[in-house]
Amino acid sequence: MTENRSASKSGLTGVAVSTGSMTFNHTGSWRFLRPEMTEKLAPCRRRCPAGTDIPRVLGFVAENRLREAWQTILQTNPLPAVCGRVCYAPCETECTRAQLDEGLSVQSIERLIGEQALGFDPPDPPPRREERVAIIGSGPAGLSCAYFLAGCGVCVTVFEAESVLGGMLRIGIPGYRLPRSILEGEIERISRMGVEFLTNCRIGLDLDIEGLQKEFDAVFVATGAHRSRRIPIPIDSDPRIMSGLTFLRHVNIGDAPSVGRRVVVIGGGNTALDAARASLRLGAEVTVYYRRGRDQMPAHPSEIEEARAEGVAFRFLQSPVAAHAGPTAVEAEFINMELGPLDESGRARPVPVPGSNHVVEADTLIVAVGEQPDLDFYYPFPGVFLGGDAASGPSTVVDAIASGRGAATEILTLLGIDGVVRARKSRPGVVFVKEGLQFAYFPSAPRVQSPVLPVRNRLGGFAEVVATIPHDSAVREAARCISCGVCNSCGECWAYCPDGAILPVEGGYSIDLDYCKGCGICAAECPRDVIRLVEEES
Amino acid sequence: MTVKGDLHIEVTTGNHAVSHGVRLARAEVISAYPITPQTQVVELLSQFCEEGLLKARFIKVESEHSAMAALVGAASTGARTFTATSAQGLALMHEMLHWAAGARLPIVMANVNRAMGAPWSVWTDQNDSLSQRDTGWLQIYCESNQEVLDTVLQSFKLAETVRLPVMLILDAFVLSHTAEPVEIPDPEDADRFLPPYRPGLRLDPSDPHAFNGLTTPDSYMEFRVAMQESMIQALEVAKSVDQEFAAIFGRSYGIIEAYRCDDAELMVITSSTVTSTAREVIDRLRDEGRRVGLLKIRLFRPFPAEELRRLCAGAAKLAVIDRNIGFGVGGIFAQEVRAALYNHLVVPVYGFIAGLGGRDITPETILEIVQWAETNEPADSIWIGVKR
Amino acid sequence: MNPVSIESLPEEELMTPGHLGCQGCGAALGMRHVLKALGEKTIIVLPACCWSIIAGPFPYSAVKVPVLHTAFETAASTACGVRAALDVQHDRETTVLAWAGDGGTFDIGLQALSGVAERNENILYVCYDNEAYMNTGIQRSSATPSGAWTTTTPGRKEHPKKDIMQIMAAHRIPYAATASVAYPEDLFRKVRKARSIQGTRFIQLLTPCPPGWKIAAELSVRLARLAVLSRVFPLYEIEEGSRYTLSAVENPEPVTEYLKAQGRFHNLTSADFAAFQEEVDRSWARLRSLAADWEAQKA
Repeated sequence: MTENRSASKSGLTGVAVSTGSMTFNHTGSWRFLRPEMTEKLAPCRRRCPAGTDIPRVLGFVAENRLREAWQTILQTNPLPAVCGRVCYAPCETECTRAQLDEGLSVQSIERLIGEQALGFDPPDPPPRREERVAIIGSGPAGLSCAYFLAGCGVCVTVFEAESVLGGMLRIGIPGYRLPRSILEGEIERISRMGVEFLTNCRIGLDLDIEGLQKEFDAVFVATGAHRSRRIPIPIDSDPRIMSGLTFLRHVNIGDAPSVGRRVVVIGGGNTALDAARASLRLGAEVTVYYRRGRDQMPAHPSEIEEARAEGVAFRFLQSPVAAHAGPTAVEAEFINMELGPLDESGRARPVPVPGSNHVVEADTLIVAVGEQPDLDFYYPFPGVFLGGDAASGPSTVVDAIASGRGAATEILTLLGIDGVVRARKSRPGVVFVKEGLQFAYFPSAPRVQSPVLPVRNRLGGFAEVVATIPHDSAVREAARCISCGVCNSCGECWAYCPDGAILPVEGGYSIDLDYCKGCGICAAECPRDVIRLVEEES
Repeated sequence: MTVKGDLHIEVTTGNHAVSHGVRLARAEVISAYPITPQTQVVELLSQFCEEGLLKARFIKVESEHSAMAALVGAASTGARTFTATSAQGLALMHEMLHWAAGARLPIVMANVNRAMGAPWSVWTDQNDSLSQRDTGWLQIYCESNQEVLDTVLQSFKLAETVRLPVMLILDAFVLSHTAEPVEIPDPEDADRFLPPYRPGLRLDPSDPHAFNGLTTPDSYMEFRVAMQESMIQALEVAKSVDQEFAAIFGRSYGIIEAYRCDDAELMVITSSTVTSTAREVIDRLRDEGRRVGLLKIRLFRPFPAEELRRLCAGAAKLAVIDRNIGFGVGGIFAQEVRAALYNHLVVPVYGFIAGLGGRDITPETILEIVQWAETNEPADSIWIGVKR
Repeated sequence: MNPVSIESLPEEELMTPGHLGCQGCGAALGMRHVLKALGEKTIIVLPACCWSIIAGPFPYSAVKVPVLHTAFETAASTACGVRAALDVQHDRETTVLAWAGDGGTFDIGLQALSGVAERNENILYVCYDNEAYMNTGIQRSSATPSGAWTTTTPGRKEHPKKDIMQIMAAHRIPYAATASVAYPEDLFRKVRKARSIQGTRFIQLLTPCPPGWKIAAELSVRLARLAVLSRVFPLYEIEEGSRYTLSAVENPEPVTEYLKAQGRFHNLTSADFAAFQEEVDRSWARLRSLAADWEAQKA
């Protein structure tokens, strides 16, 4: 009592008044479980052959940051404006959102990004290196490989057999699906990165592998699959009878043949349907003959539907027997088929119905029963790489792009150049599973619908059928993305932390382990299952 | 000593004297609940507020507990605060009395002494206020309506100086409802005596602090040391406040008053209005040449032990009149007096208990007490006026 | 009820980390958001409750606004005193927040709260409702739902939860609302709305308590949400005691989803679940009808 200790503790007033903050109390020591931000592989990205980080792309779009979205795509795919139109979008097939209402329209967003990006400046390429690489073929595989190599400073020369660039994108896909200006825009940007393009240089004719192999440090063969398959039936040789690819090539380089009034197309794949729809636009009545049923058609369902809507007639279970060039018409003979047991491809095997032969007259007969690579000129050689459809047989554009990037990666490794394309390395190893998802966070919202040209306005020419969605629709659509397994800075973890231990930082959130008590709410509430709890080590 | 202006005398009750004191003190927040016999205090205050004579927020709470809680809030926010109550109301406040004192809030309260139920009573005794002895409140027992008014002003100054709450106490009916001439001070003089109150440390968003948070065994005791030191300091502050008051208004009361105590062999010790009755008896006995004196304890908390010892050093006997009972011990003032003397003085202390529940303490009662003390050996508890 | 979008929530934190709330404490989360909405011109009146501890011991504080610790039953009365003092100091800007638990509100503090509400004192009273005396170790309060285990209802509580909102509505205060920590944006809006109104404003904020509800700490927000989605704890506002606005919950979760997730309801049988569901449905129907009345009046 002799010593006035109150003065030091509480000041002169004797009032129990706070003078400091509880922040001295590092409650992180209470923790048994530690939250960790661990991104997971979203189903869309897992299904994308190019491995594009789709959730992050959509995240940028949702924030109206198209340039960043575009740059993210470019890490894995240099042709977003093309893929935004002609990709069959495997990414959309397993969209988690479909379990809530409808899956995301990833492709229409990519299309908008790619189109807007045609006005963007390409990233400055690094200083040019001495290494030189030859690429044979300017299709999607070749363009992709060229882009990624040029992005590392490699000198690239692309040799194209045709007089125009783009390979199958140019000569195989009609303009109503991929306008020339779009393709040219994408190629132009790659060209501005220093890639040299030489047209009318056909391998085996104008050049040979050995010569290139000597002149260049590496060669990438991406010549595609341009040789049309033949049906083992008697078919007369006649200008009115042609392969699907030959027909499309003529149409697409502006040398469309006169097809007459009646066109018959044999086949059920995408080439057959492109040929059919192109013929419609040349003024013909078109019937597609296919030897199996509708459900067995290998063409993409959207293609079949659009063709049907435009007026293409279909005859199913019709197998060609012969094709004769008559004086006034081509006479195609078919036999009716019926479906038998399943074959090795899992489809019902068609079996001829005896005595059901009949003849169909046409002004033009287009045979489109598949393509295959033509590799007569090719043999394996050190430093020579094969990719795209030339390696795999006919496949999709995005597969070719992925293949081109893979080739670039291998070539860079061969040349000992650092800067191997990193996209695949950054791919999370853990696959997102929908059980971790909290649908409570996502209000129901309808999927965006791309504007479509009315059928009556389509057939007068080769105008594009599907239009690009408006900018604001793309932003809205992107905001529907659940961003499975990928932090999109939604901030729920921050909002729900009872301890103020989640801090907003540039580009996202960080966990303040000085204070985090390990309650796990952030992990439980993360709408995208990015945060997981791990045991603290003692 | 100067007195400015014309004297303003009103014949007024003790309750209204409280109200006038509060008006002159310019209390800013008043919070109260009705209870007999205190009610008129807040009735007149309500009227003052209504008429704009007092610019205070008057919170008409739903209980005394809330009355004190509201004042804890208001005083913590830096306002000058007042309430009034009695008996059961004071008991209901008990928890918050501790809180107000522990939070070091200079709240002023008038308690009109009323006996505690059960059974019901509305008449005076001191058990209600004395039950709050250890809550950390200063307690001042008043003898007259003038003293009541003056003590209201003194209480604010005292409370705000030592940062402890003050309870001023007046007897039910004997003062509360009895009118006497009271000089109502001039507001300018009151302002001079009691300047506006605005503590630096208060609830203020521009200087945020937490008040009264959890204290551990490592820190609690020092707050009690500080309270005790402030209580001790209040003994001197009470005297200096009384002197300052005297300098302006010409009246002073001291903390303990000795009346005709020179050479007294027997000193009667009283508080509140019993004092006035005792004065008459002492005068009469002195006239008869008997050596008796009177000590009035005005400040009960803090207890003026040293002053008491000084004043009664020459006495042969002390007779303490308690209008209260500490059950199982005896009169509470008597206990306090004995405790103050112990270790210092050996004087027999007679403890008399009288006037509970408003039973009259007349001059005859006091004469009986004096005679009992003069003729008997000391006893701890002597009941006076009990019907057998 | 719409899901969360946090864009409107300010980044500024007026509650600090380092506080003493348990892991997953709903009351800490609630305070964090209420302070975000009120801003620094706020004075908190804190009666005995979990937050007496959470706020930290002398001489520390876990909030960056003034706090007055006060006795258990006095949140409302102490707050109205603070308000009165601010009034005489001509401070109209500062909000006085009485922040009390359910025990301090439904039980021991109800009288003072009723007094304040009847006088329409100008304070914001937030009851953070964790449905029992949690600070003292999980004893039943009148906010504990029927069927719940607590240490003083070792079998199960017999009587239903007191409807504090009807009590507040009966006082015809200008604004009363329920809120859940699972919906911080809704909470933010309601606190901001309350801040803009003069008079007594009351918010009943559901703040799950992991130890008291016998749930994993990580589930406290999820249960605060499930309480709403099962209509056990409807989100609504009452203006002037009679104008009801109810947040719709389409396709409600069955109450069993909510009850079975909590250890404190482990004693309930399927008949109890059915009775609970019936009670929830009845309460919802009542609220919906009141909300429809107000809709009709507006129209």
